[in-house]
Parts: sequence; C-alpha cells; structure tokens
Amino acid sequence: MPTPSSRYLRTAFVAGLFVILCIGGYTYQHISELSKASEVVKDNYSLRSELELVISNLKDAEIGHRGFLLTHDSLFLTPYEESLQKISNNLEKLDTLIVPNSKQVDKLKDLNSDIQKRFENFSKSFARVNDSEVLTKDLLYLLHEGEIQMDTIRSDISEMLDLEQRLLVQNQEISQGKIGLTPLLFYGLLIVTLVILLLAYIKMTTDLKALKESNTELEIFEKLTKQSEIVSNTSTWVWYIEEDEFEFSDNLYRLLGEEPQSFEPTLINFYKFVHEEDLTNLGHRVNLMMKEGELPFTSFRVVHKDGTIKHLKAYSKLMDETDGEKKIFGVTVDATNEVENYRIIEQRNQELERTNKELSAFNYVASHDLQEPLRKIQTFMSRLEAKEKDRISESGQIYIQRMKSASARMRMLIEDLLQYSRTNTSEKEYLKTNMNLLLEHAKTELIDSIEEKRAKIICDDLPTMEVISFQIQQLFINIISNSLKYSKEDVPPIIEITHEEVLSRNVKQIQNSLYKYHHKITFKDNGIGFEQPYAEKIFLLFNRLHGKSEYSGTGIGLAICKKIVENHKGVIIAEGEPNKGATFIIYLPFLK
Amino acid sequence: MNSDYINLALADDDEDDRLFFTEAFEELKVKSKVSLFKDGIELMDYLDDSNNAIPNLLFLDLNMPKKSGLECLKEIKASQRFKDMAIAIYSTSASEEDIENTFVIGANVYIKKPNDFEKLKKVLSEVVTTNWQYHTSGLNKENFLLRL
Repeated sequence: MPTPSSRYLRTAFVAGLFVILCIGGYTYQHISELSKASEVVKDNYSLRSELELVISNLKDAEIGHRGFLLTHDSLFLTPYEESLQKISNNLEKLDTLIVPNSKQVDKLKDLNSDIQKRFENFSKSFARVNDSEVLTKDLLYLLHEGEIQMDTIRSDISEMLDLEQRLLVQNQEISQGKIGLTPLLFYGLLIVTLVILLLAYIKMTTDLKALKESNTELEIFEKLTKQSEIVSNTSTWVWYIEEDEFEFSDNLYRLLGEEPQSFEPTLINFYKFVHEEDLTNLGHRVNLMMKEGELPFTSFRVVHKDGTIKHLKAYSKLMDETDGEKKIFGVTVDATNEVENYRIIEQRNQELERTNKELSAFNYVASHDLQEPLRKIQTFMSRLEAKEKDRISESGQIYIQRMKSASARMRMLIEDLLQYSRTNTSEKEYLKTNMNLLLEHAKTELIDSIEEKRAKIICDDLPTMEVISFQIQQLFINIISNSLKYSKEDVPPIIEITHEEVLSRNVKQIQNSLYKYHHKITFKDNGIGFEQPYAEKIFLLFNRLHGKSEYSGTGIGLAICKKIVENHKGVIIAEGEPNKGATFIIYLPFLK
Repeated sequence: MNSDYINLALADDDEDDRLFFTEAFEELKVKSKVSLFKDGIELMDYLDDSNNAIPNLLFLDLNMPKKSGLECLKEIKASQRFKDMAIAIYSTSASEEDIENTFVIGANVYIKKPNDFEKLKKVLSEVVTTNWQYHTSGLNKENFLLRL
C-alpha cells in the first residue's frame, strides 16, 4: 500500500516530467516555425534579386539588340541570345520561388506575357533588319513599341517588388509576435518545474528526517525489548513459514541456559533442551501449530546443561501477511516462579483446608461430645433432686443448686462459643433481605424477656440489604437482648432503632472505606449505660464490665456482633453514658 | 400382637441414656415393652429377623458405633416391611444438617435429648401418645423438631 508521502512524490515526478515534455514540444515547434520564417525571408530576397536580374538581363538583351540594329554585326547577337536564355531561366526560377499567393501569381503571369510580347517585338525588328540596311518606319515603330513594353515590364516588376516587400513586412510582424511571447513562456514553465522540484526536495528531506527519527526510535525500542526480556524472563521468536527458518531472540538462549546465538536456531536444536517427559506433547502441539498457524498456551520443562529444570510457557500466533510473507510470532516465558508459587499456594490451601476440617471437627466435639456429659450431669442432678430430696441435708441442697447454676452457665458458654465459631466458618451467602423481617424475627425470639421487662421497641422502616440473613438476625438479637439485660431495674426499657444512609467520607470511622455509601443503623437504649473508655473493650471475647452475680452473661454476645459486622465489611461502635443509656451504631456498606 | 401395650425400641450406644429412657417409661406408667440396642448392627439384626415383632415406635440415636443412626434410617426406609413403624430421631445434637437429612429420608419426629429428667418424661409421653399413622399427613419441616 503506497504511503501518502510516496504518492506525493510520484505526483510531483509525473507533473515535472509532463512540464518538461511540454517545454520540449513547444521549443521544437517554435524553432521549426522560426526556421520556416527565415526560409521565407531568404526566398523573398532571392525572388527580389531574381526580379532585378530579369530587368538587367532584359537590358543586356536590348543592348545586344540595339548594337546589332546599328552595326548588323552578328557579334552583338551572342550576348542577346545569352540574355534571352538567362531571362527564361530567371522566369523558371521565379516560378519555383513564388509563394502561392494568388495576387503575385497573377502578376507573374502578366510579367510572363509582357516579356513574351517584348520577345516577339525583338523577333519582328530582327525580320525588318534583314530586308534593308536603313531604319525603316516600321522599325522605328517597333522600337517605340519595345520602349513602351519595357516600361510595362518595369512597372510589373516594381509592383511585384512592392507586393513582395509588403509580404515580407507582414511575415516579419507575425513571427515577431510569436517570438516575443516565447521566452516568457519558457521562463514561466521553468519556474513551475523548479517549484515542483523544490517541493519534492523539501518533502523528501522531511520524510528522510522522519525516517531517521523512527529509525532511532526503533533502535531504542529494540534495546528496551532486549532489556525487558531479560528483566521479565520472556523471549520472542519468529518462524518464517515459507523458508522454514527460525529466529530466536537472545533471551531465549538465556532461558535455555546458553549464550545468546550460540547455536543454530532450529526446532531440532531446541528440542534437545526439552524435558523428555514433555517432548511428545510439545512436538504434537508444534505440529498442530504448523497446520493451524496458532500455538495456544503450552507449558513444558527444559533442562539446562547443568541439570537445572525450568518451566517455560509458549504462545504464538500467525501475523497478517501484508508483505506477502507468512510468519508466526511466538513468545516464550519462564514460568518457573509462577509454577513454584502456585505449588506453595496449593500447599497452603491444603493446609487451610485441613485446618478448616479440624475446626469443624472441633465444632462437632464442642456441640456434641462436650454437651453430652454436661447434659448427663444435669439430668442426674434433676434425678437426685427429685428422688433423693428428702435424704439430703439443707446445705447439700444448696450445693446442688450451685451445681445446677454452674452447669447451666457452662451450657450457655458452650452454646455461645459455638455460635461465635459458626459466624467464622459458616458459608457466607449474601442475599437481598428485608431488614424489617429480620428485626421481626429477632423480636419474636426475644418475646419472653421483652414482655417480662415491658420493653418498648421503636423502629424506623429499614431498607432491603444484601446480607447473610441469619447472621444479621443474630446481630439484632444480641444487641436487643444486651439492652434488655442491662436495663435499669425500675424503668421499662425503651429501644429506639433508626436508619439513615450516609456518605462514607463524612464519617470518621469509615472515611477510608472502599465503599462510597453506608447504611447507618443506630440502637439507642435508656439502660444503665457504661463509661465511654470501655467502649471498645466491650466487644472483646469474654470481656465483661459487670460481675456474674449482678448480670448473667458469657461476654461473647457483643464479640459475636463485632464478628458479624466485620463479616459484612462494616463497623460497629458503642457510645455510653453511665445511668443514661448505651448507643450501638452499625455502619454496613452498600455492597453494590 | 397384644394391643394393650406399645412395642417400643431404642437404639443408643450410651448406657446412661438407655437408663434414663427406661426409667422415664417406668415413671410414665405407659403400658409398654421396651427393646434396647447398643448399636446399629444389633438393631438391624433384630429388625431383619422376621421372627421378631416389628416395634410400633423406634427411637434412633444418630451417633452410634459400627452403624450410624442415619444408615439404619436409610435401610429401614428402603424396606416395605417397616412402613408402619414410626421413627423418632433421638440425638444430643440438633444441627441443621442432621435435621434436614433425617427429615428428607423420612423420620417422623426429631427429639433433642433434654437436660432435665422431667422434660424427658414430657417429651417421651408426647411422642408415645401421638398417633403417627394419622399425624404423617400433616408432617412438615417446621414441626419436625419437637419443641415443648
């Protein structure tokens, strides 16, 4: 495909050639016209001299004629005869010289006939001379007539000369006009040619400059490519299909543990490095590439001469054949690190899987095996209480009560711990859920203690959110039951739940969040509250602000809340004021 | 078969639980004949012997050595002979997974072993007095786990 600049050059060349051809043609035409004009002038002059010769020859004839008349000496007849001969020659010449101009031709005819008459006059007078030796009347008359005829011939000739003079001037005027324009035209055409040449030269210079620049760029690019191949452990190769020849980049040799260009780049030489277990597969793939013009990602190992094994990965594709030559461009990458990293990750994954299995095994042990002996202790205690009550002393019965409450507490601890570990390991499936529904479920779950404490729960309309529903429900249960538990003894608890949407960067705790918007759900109660310095501690596992005898609890509930909110990529914070109440604020991001 | 008493069976590897079970029925004064099995193999050997009467109600612990309760449940449900026998799952754990599995295979009720003897008596009396032939039609996943 011709580039715009080469098209431009071609146009300039064609235009220049055309102009030069024009100039040549025009010059030839002009010169031939000029030579024609000078020919005409030359003819004109010879015509004039010929005419003058006619007169002089006539005079010579007359002189000879008169001499003879006077002397009757035949000596005078020789020049007379010669002159007559000359005149007829002159007339013949005039006939060839005359320009085919009707006027001049007519005049020449007149001249011819007049001369003919003069000749007849000469002949008549010669006849009279032979009769007598004196001048007769007839002879005199003939002499007069000859004189008159001579005048006619003279006027004929002078008319012809005049006409010829006019023709000459006319011709000169025409050729003068033509010749006057010629140099200007030549000059103009030359200037145009020069301009075209100049433009072509400028264009060629800029093109050459651009070519030089892109050449330098190419050189830099080539160096960079070589450098980047070394740094990134990649290499390139080209396969010229028609010649069946390969070209390996320097780094491909390095990937094989060899010096650049240290052996001939052929498939057979390359195969010498390939691990024998991978040879069949690679050969198969390469054969396929030769048929289909594409090599999909293919992994294989190579063995260096020192025994090092490297994992390589190759890919190639047939490039479009604008220059008519089919070739395949290929990239070969050292994937050893990748493979090793993958192996490490695989190992860690297996370890993680094992740990997870152990964890769920622990869950089972906690839920089943730990609860079973506890259940039996409790059941046996209830048997003891029912069947042997009468035989046990009062203090013994107090001990039994203590044992009962201790084992009840142990049961609670086990159940809460299980709940906590389940928030870690259970499957995390985020589904669009109506939060109002989850809150209703939580309230149903807590209905006994809500009614017992005559608690009032005031709630905004909550949105639909993408959450792990059972976890959020647990979150609501834990926060509400926490408020119920730590309520003032004589005041019915009031829990206010409010919701708003906030811009993340406007809130200190979440300003660095990846999500732009957050839901802010606030739980505000009128309970006993707590001192602000403990605001972070209350979320720690097994952390309690009150003695077990004052308020029952395991110190796990709020830790579970924190875990659940973190599972949802959110933040939970607590604010408290002793004897006024506590506020729990939950920020949950808009996940989409 | 005498219809005066209910033919009950319990498969549970835990000795204490078998003791609570029999004591509960003694105190409930339900006319019953209780057969006890220490594991799944023992239970299936008994059931597969056609000389033995098929119990009206089978209490099945899930976590048992040799053959688990779940395996026994599958075998029993695969046989037409036991189609009239009601099955109560009787287990320490009440994990969602266990409840789901046993319900799908076709157990009638799921009992989580209580930690109070009085509650145990209450649960067992509820189960024994239910007419499972009749109850089956209204069975669903929500009331499958017995709550008292």
